[in-house]
Amino acid sequence: MNEAAVNTTMNANDELALSRKRRVRARRIALRVLEIGTPIAALAAWWFGSQNSQNPFFPSLREILIEFRKLWLFDKFGSDVIPSIVNFSIAYIIACVVGIALGILLALVWPPHAMLDPVLQFIRSIPAVALLPIFVALFGFGNGVRVFAIALSALFPVLISTVDGARGTEPLLLETARVYRLTPWERLRWVYLPAASPQIFSGAVVSLQVAFIVMITSEMLGSAHGIGALTMLAQKSFDAKGMWAGILLLGILGYLVNLLFTLVQNRVLSWYRGAQQSESAE
Amino acid sequence: MKSHLTTPSRTATLAYGAIGIILLLIAWQWGSTKVVSKSALPSIPDVVSALRELVVQGSFWIGVALTLVIALAGWAIAAVAGVALGIAIGIFAPVQAATRILLEFLRPIPAIVILPLAMMVFGPTTKMGIFLVIFGVMLPITAQTAAGVESVDPVMRNTARSFGMSSREILWRVILPGASPYIGTAMRVAAPVTLIMAVVAGMLGGAPGIGNALSVAQTVGRSDTLFAYVLVLGCMGMATQAASVSIERRLLHWHSSYRGEQS
Repeated sequence: MNEAAVNTTMNANDELALSRKRRVRARRIALRVLEIGTPIAALAAWWFGSQNSQNPFFPSLREILIEFRKLWLFDKFGSDVIPSIVNFSIAYIIACVVGIALGILLALVWPPHAMLDPVLQFIRSIPAVALLPIFVALFGFGNGVRVFAIALSALFPVLISTVDGARGTEPLLLETARVYRLTPWERLRWVYLPAASPQIFSGAVVSLQVAFIVMITSEMLGSAHGIGALTMLAQKSFDAKGMWAGILLLGILGYLVNLLFTLVQNRVLSWYRGAQQSESAE
Repeated sequence: MKSHLTTPSRTATLAYGAIGIILLLIAWQWGSTKVVSKSALPSIPDVVSALRELVVQGSFWIGVALTLVIALAGWAIAAVAGVALGIAIGIFAPVQAATRILLEFLRPIPAIVILPLAMMVFGPTTKMGIFLVIFGVMLPITAQTAAGVESVDPVMRNTARSFGMSSREILWRVILPGASPYIGTAMRVAAPVTLIMAVVAGMLGGAPGIGNALSVAQTVGRSDTLFAYVLVLGCMGMATQAASVSIERRLLHWHSSYRGEQS
């Protein structure tokens, strides 16, 4: 008799647990459907909502996509898309390399740091795009000038965060390095750079945004080639389809550039994340 | 934390800083008279006199005010909308699921991408500038707020509930204060972006303000005025940054992550 009672309660418990599990699973599926469904619904709404659009500013998505394919795949690809991407990449890499090298140097040797700090702080406060007209006035508007302008405005965020990161290296680490008699080069490679790397990356992502903005602005300001130039031209001639195609391409590029950055960051900083997690687990 | 490096005295740092500034000014003056043509790189006296010319003009101050209005209005609207949306995302799982992919895609896209569209729809107006600023900073604020809400300890939320607090009280007295450091950081990071977008709106889109004055000075070849405006923008940038840091500190002084700094 006792056994039977126990059995029934167990069954009831099992059923309760089972139904709860089911409910949790149903909820999770519903959330997943919502997660994937909303963007699709939004795109569908854009597609069907704009289908018969007569609004001069908002042409139908179908027309935009046709224009997109006509322009970028691959009519203007070689003449406009590639130069923009190349300019951007070269300038950004220069900014990061110079910024990190100069930043470490400034962090370790204090007289130049004290001398440059006020000047750097001021230049950093100038909205990067405002420097463009000065470059144009000084050097004209060749392609090299554009790369230089992008690199220089992207330099400051990564430079300043590298200085902060390297100066914040834990004293204990440095003392340990001294005990083990690391050479200056070893200290740089195995102590300063890793200690500063989380900060370096947080500066580098700001630099990435700045470089992207300045790249597009420089093309919009006055240039015959480039995605920004074509998009601006379309806007000025009231070619809404061409303008939307340009916006779409720039948006996709902006997204991809960030994705690439995040992938690199996750790879380089995987040790840091691991250390943080084990620390919080303790 | 103090730097491990030999920390020089304050006066020495100041002296070196002053030397740096003086060296830069000397290099500038030397470059303007000896190296580049005067029309490209104006000399320091020229820029100073251009600046003095500007300061007495009413239109200059209107330009400064309009640029600040565009940046601040966009910032405020983006903050209210972004925080509200971020809290909704942080609290309600369905909202989070529905917005995740859209946010992930739209957040990293710089606002300048949308500039041609804004110009076409709004024309060269203040409204266009404000729209661009909102577009530039709202989604990062949203994402940070949502992260802040998620960082609130569930134990605190449950404690509040078992004390019989209503959900509105929990929102105002537990969730918002808990998320506030994240919101504060997002607002501070947004400050320079608002100024950049306000300037771009003027430079490329013709919205009123310093950005527009800058491009006018460039087209008429007044490089002394151009430099004067850039110096003014640098001062405005420093002022906004300093203001946002001190506001953040004043508003959040009670939070544990800020209390340490003061002592």
